[in-house]
Amino acid sequence: MIKFSGLDKWFGDHHVLQKIDLDVAKGEVVVVCGPSGSGKSTLIRCVNGLEKYQGGSLVVDGISVGDSANLRRLRMELGFVFQQFNLYPHKTALENVTLALIYVRKLPRQEAIARGKELLRKVGLGDKFDSYPAQLSGGQQQRVAIARSLCMQPKIMLFDEPTSALDPEMINEVLDVMVGLAKDGMTMIVVTHEMGFARKVADRVVFMDKGSIVEVSEPETFFTAPKNERTQEFLSKILRH
Amino acid sequence: MNLSLNFRVIGETLPDFLTGLTATVTISLAAFVGALVVGVIACAMSLQTPRYLRAPAVVYVDIIRATPLLAQLYFLYFGLPSFGLMMPEIMVGIIAFSLNSGAYVSEIVRSGILSIPRGQLEASAASGMSYLQQMRLIILPQALRPMVSPLIGQAIVLVKDSSLLSLISVLELTRAGQTLAINRFMPVEGLATTAVCYLIIYYGLKLMAYAWGRFNQVGATR
Amino acid sequence: MNETLIFLLDQIKSVIQFHPVILKGLGMTIVVSLIGIVVGGIVGFALGVGRASSYKALSFLIGAYTDIFRGTPVLVQLFVVYFILPQAGVELDSFTAGAIALSNISACFVSEIVASGIRAIPVGQLEAAAASGLSRFQRLRLIMLPQATRMIVPSLVGQFVLLVKDSSVVSAIGLLELTRSGWIVVQSIPNGLLVFSVIGVGYFVICYPMLYWSRKLEKKH
Repeated sequence: MIKFSGLDKWFGDHHVLQKIDLDVAKGEVVVVCGPSGSGKSTLIRCVNGLEKYQGGSLVVDGISVGDSANLRRLRMELGFVFQQFNLYPHKTALENVTLALIYVRKLPRQEAIARGKELLRKVGLGDKFDSYPAQLSGGQQQRVAIARSLCMQPKIMLFDEPTSALDPEMINEVLDVMVGLAKDGMTMIVVTHEMGFARKVADRVVFMDKGSIVEVSEPETFFTAPKNERTQEFLSKILRH
Repeated sequence: MNLSLNFRVIGETLPDFLTGLTATVTISLAAFVGALVVGVIACAMSLQTPRYLRAPAVVYVDIIRATPLLAQLYFLYFGLPSFGLMMPEIMVGIIAFSLNSGAYVSEIVRSGILSIPRGQLEASAASGMSYLQQMRLIILPQALRPMVSPLIGQAIVLVKDSSLLSLISVLELTRAGQTLAINRFMPVEGLATTAVCYLIIYYGLKLMAYAWGRFNQVGATR
Repeated sequence: MNETLIFLLDQIKSVIQFHPVILKGLGMTIVVSLIGIVVGGIVGFALGVGRASSYKALSFLIGAYTDIFRGTPVLVQLFVVYFILPQAGVELDSFTAGAIALSNISACFVSEIVASGIRAIPVGQLEAAAASGLSRFQRLRLIMLPQATRMIVPSLVGQFVLLVKDSSVVSAIGLLELTRSGWIVVQSIPNGLLVFSVIGVGYFVICYPMLYWSRKLEKKH
């Protein structure tokens, strides 16, 4: 469903993504991890065009991401969850969730509200329809952000370090929602440090370092018998806690 | 120096001061609206990517900010007739002030828009919104809040700027004071009344700014 | 079309012939602005320190004084100095009156800039300085001023630009500075656009570098 072929990206002189080749099939859950600066966030941001690439190709559901004419339509099928949530502070939770439905998918208001409420209930926020982001905890805000993306009924969900900005006690409520999504068969790419999550639902784990993919394997193999030295180094550092 | 004010004379000339005051307020209001129009257009242009749109806006703002209002006023006052554009001095003034304040309004609007975190643009783009939708639904509603205070400040500047029109014989507040000072040989009374009138407007606008500040704080939990 | 071009070139020649007046005006603008900047800067700095001090009465008095001059037009203040001060026995020509009015208004704006710069320093810094035994004067010199200065300088440079522009108003009481020289020239060469474009260039050359500098300073933070 997503195909990276020899993807190249530079930030000035810095070669951030080096000849990335990766295929993600429909219904697959791919976890991307790696040290900071490895390019994993840049990689996922290329998928919905938040970052532009200079070389190679990136095709999502048959549409090339580099082709800007189709970008808006493509984005309707891609849900993106940010590390900083990026909820609209001047809108309530329900408004946040239904905004794109009404203005981008052009759904009638009543229908959009009904769907929005359903999704907010699904992520456990059925009592927070009229709350503003400032009145919600980090974990709650991120769940609203997930609901906001899900509302558009995307084919693929992209998560850019969704729990990195959360206090520890709120990480699980967000991960639980994501596990539920994975079990429902959603195609997902998740950039994260949460290895427990990877072990539980990932179909494959991708390790990136300094702009290239170092190792790709199934979770069990990845955690118990990593092939590459750098992978081993990384795992030993983060699995210590 | 005789510091006692001849209040009787002030009382007699109050109608003239009132006329002048009304003129000052009218001019300032008209120029403020004009400045908003000019400023928003200039700001929109300065945010576009193509250079042929961005450059004129930037050049305009730089020229306005680096030259005095009086020179700009004279530029129009002495220059417009050569285009066959004859108009009452008050109109020349309003145009000059709109163009002048417009540059500052453009900067105010610009910094308001740029103060919105990038994440807001990214999140709205990620759900497929067009640039116009992003502006209308997400950026502008949030950008308006930080703009109010500086815009009130610009209104204060406009009121003070309007005094320059007395130099091209427009009957506004300063000129009304001049009339008393020169015609009745009472500069102290004339200028004192003028100053007091300006200060009333000044403190009035400052009060508005303060009230807005309080209103803004209360709504902070939103 | 050809005739208008020749006519225009003629006018440009005439304007160039007026260059002594214009240059004199430019020089006067620079001189009177400099006085306003320097005197206003020094006095304003002192006022600002007083305004930010913990002596409530002093702060209030300075605030009230500066408010008056920040809330009234420069033109009115100029008239007050020029027409009313002589009644107190002070001899004034337009240059002196202009210099006084400009210095005064500059001081008032500078004092607010300095005061808010000082107030912006986190209280914790001053408490730490006091706790380590530094005297009031030492705290001012070593901790407050360096930090406040860094915040204040961009605004100050912006204020200087405003002062140069305000100097144009002194033309109203007859001072032969740059704007007035333009006014004089346009009486003989009735091409307002041409003459005041030249005047504009004069101001631009003085003000734009300062404006650019102030923007660069602001970006550093």
